[in-house]
Amino acid sequence: MIYKCKNCGGNVVYHPDKKKMYCPHCEAVDSEEEVPSSVTECANCGAPVEVSRYTSACKCEHCGSYMILEERVAGELTPHLILPFQISKEKAVKLLEKEFQSRYFTPGTFLSAATLTGMEGIYVPFFLYGYLGTFDYAGTGTKVRSWRRGNTEYVETSWFRVERNLDIDFDRIPVDASIDMNNDMMDLLEPFDSGALESFQKKYMSGFEGEMYSEGLMSLEHRAQEKARRDAEELLRDTISGYTSLHADRKHLNLQRQTAEYALLPVWVYYYSYHGQKYTYYVNGQSGKVLGKTPVSKGKMFAYGASLWGFLFTCMVFVKMILEVL
Amino acid sequence: MRGFLRRFKVWLIILGVLAAVWFCLLGLHSAVGSVKNGRRQNTECTTKERVFDEAEVLTEKEEEKLRKLIAKRERQTGCDIVLVTLNESLREYAYAQKEYITEDKYVMLYADDFYDEHLFGYDKPYGNGVLLLDNLYREDDGWAYSWLCTTGKAEGKYSSRMIDHLLEKSYRWSKVSPYFGYRAYINQFYHDMNGFGAVNVNFSVPFLFLASFVISVGFVVTNRGGRAGDKTTDARTYVKGGKVKVNHREDQFLRKSVAQHRIQNNSGGSSGSRGGGGHHVSSGGRSHGGGGHRH
Repeated sequence: MIYKCKNCGGNVVYHPDKKKMYCPHCEAVDSEEEVPSSVTECANCGAPVEVSRYTSACKCEHCGSYMILEERVAGELTPHLILPFQISKEKAVKLLEKEFQSRYFTPGTFLSAATLTGMEGIYVPFFLYGYLGTFDYAGTGTKVRSWRRGNTEYVETSWFRVERNLDIDFDRIPVDASIDMNNDMMDLLEPFDSGALESFQKKYMSGFEGEMYSEGLMSLEHRAQEKARRDAEELLRDTISGYTSLHADRKHLNLQRQTAEYALLPVWVYYYSYHGQKYTYYVNGQSGKVLGKTPVSKGKMFAYGASLWGFLFTCMVFVKMILEVL
Repeated sequence: MRGFLRRFKVWLIILGVLAAVWFCLLGLHSAVGSVKNGRRQNTECTTKERVFDEAEVLTEKEEEKLRKLIAKRERQTGCDIVLVTLNESLREYAYAQKEYITEDKYVMLYADDFYDEHLFGYDKPYGNGVLLLDNLYREDDGWAYSWLCTTGKAEGKYSSRMIDHLLEKSYRWSKVSPYFGYRAYINQFYHDMNGFGAVNVNFSVPFLFLASFVISVGFVVTNRGGRAGDKTTDARTYVKGGKVKVNHREDQFLRKSVAQHRIQNNSGGSSGSRGGGGHHVSSGGRSHGGGGHRH
């Protein structure tokens, strides 16, 4: 299906800044109406559309209209939640440029010479898992204290029985359910503000691309549990302090799944080409966090390193001279 | 270039502030010096000479430069500033005065006597002043000793830490050339007398050079762009309310044990070591402060 403008017939899209449906052709707001279409051709221009197996929303290459493949976000495939894009295309580009400038050794010409070869705003499928974690811990801790008297050093070791029982309420741990997306990158893009999640409405997808999950809820759960386990370990450590050494006698984390939700989260993907190399960047469509490696200029690295050395050294010498004459 | 300036703006500001502080301090010392001290009052002093280069480590030109510097610094500090270099054993000299004395104190006796005999002192005989005795001769124990003798208000101002610092600094500069070493002594004395005597640091310049290099390399390595981005979640990101409910918490004392062992006193020599030496009375019955250095 496609959202068309009641006034001018143009393609109505969701506008992240206005937070409304918007027609870029006649600038009307909330003027959309649904027009159904088939999966194989564009509802606007009739051109054939090629979609991959998991695409749920795409752009027609001929007329630039955004279509939503309704049957891939309906029935069993209906997402529970969606986090509408909050960062617009223009803002994402600005964030990228800012990030490139802030990186110390990115070549000065990168911004001007790199060509943007493509960009996509994608709703990436995620599963959000909620757990009630119960952490049971028992161990032995030691505290060591030492002091001197005359020529003798005394070392006192005290042993303690350490027991903890914690309840940890994990809420909406995200795991990306797309085969195409790099798992590590998606993990690094976190956090997404779960407070901004809304019940799924397909109109938010208009103007963006989308994917449906390509991996199952059960098969991905181990990744959520891993994250929960890692966090739980750290939270447990936070409650045990002051010991010189710690030895666990019993340690058991029970994770009981409370919720599992299917959500679409917003990600901008930008493709740049620079001196024949391809660079991919991800921008969190909600928080604006930027990810991606930039090329490194050796000259800049050397110049900055040497300058820092010079500055540091001069400052240290000044401090030394000042302290000497104080 | 604009990018470069933007990046190092903070450093430029820090550098500017430090330079300003430095020049303010120099100005302050100079101002303190010119206001505080009147003309030299001591008319009984037996000599106008301040540089006694018996070991002949300085050229005529260098001696002349040091005399000029000393004349200026004397007015600014209100203290006589004397430099004596020697290249002879002071063993006989010391034993003639005292029955039992260690090598490091030979120079002390000589320096005190030298000061007293010439009736040095800016305000009066045996008055305000300082004397550096640098003996190049290696005594029986294989060390060459030097001594800083402080008298009058210099004695009051100088803690043994400050003496150590001055001698250490002078010794370090003397590795470049003896002239630099003695110039450092005169200038440091001037700053110490007009400053607050608050902090004396003994970081050597090569150490700072190396330290700043290591930090810079660390900076380059951490920023070389091998990473796509930083992790921005923590253990509490997905915990409801960010809080953990603690159902049970127990830290029960079981037992303790105490082990003891004797500490070995380890001693080792170093190439340059500092001697202590506080206030004492010279053979002539005059009060002096001072401290030594050996290398």
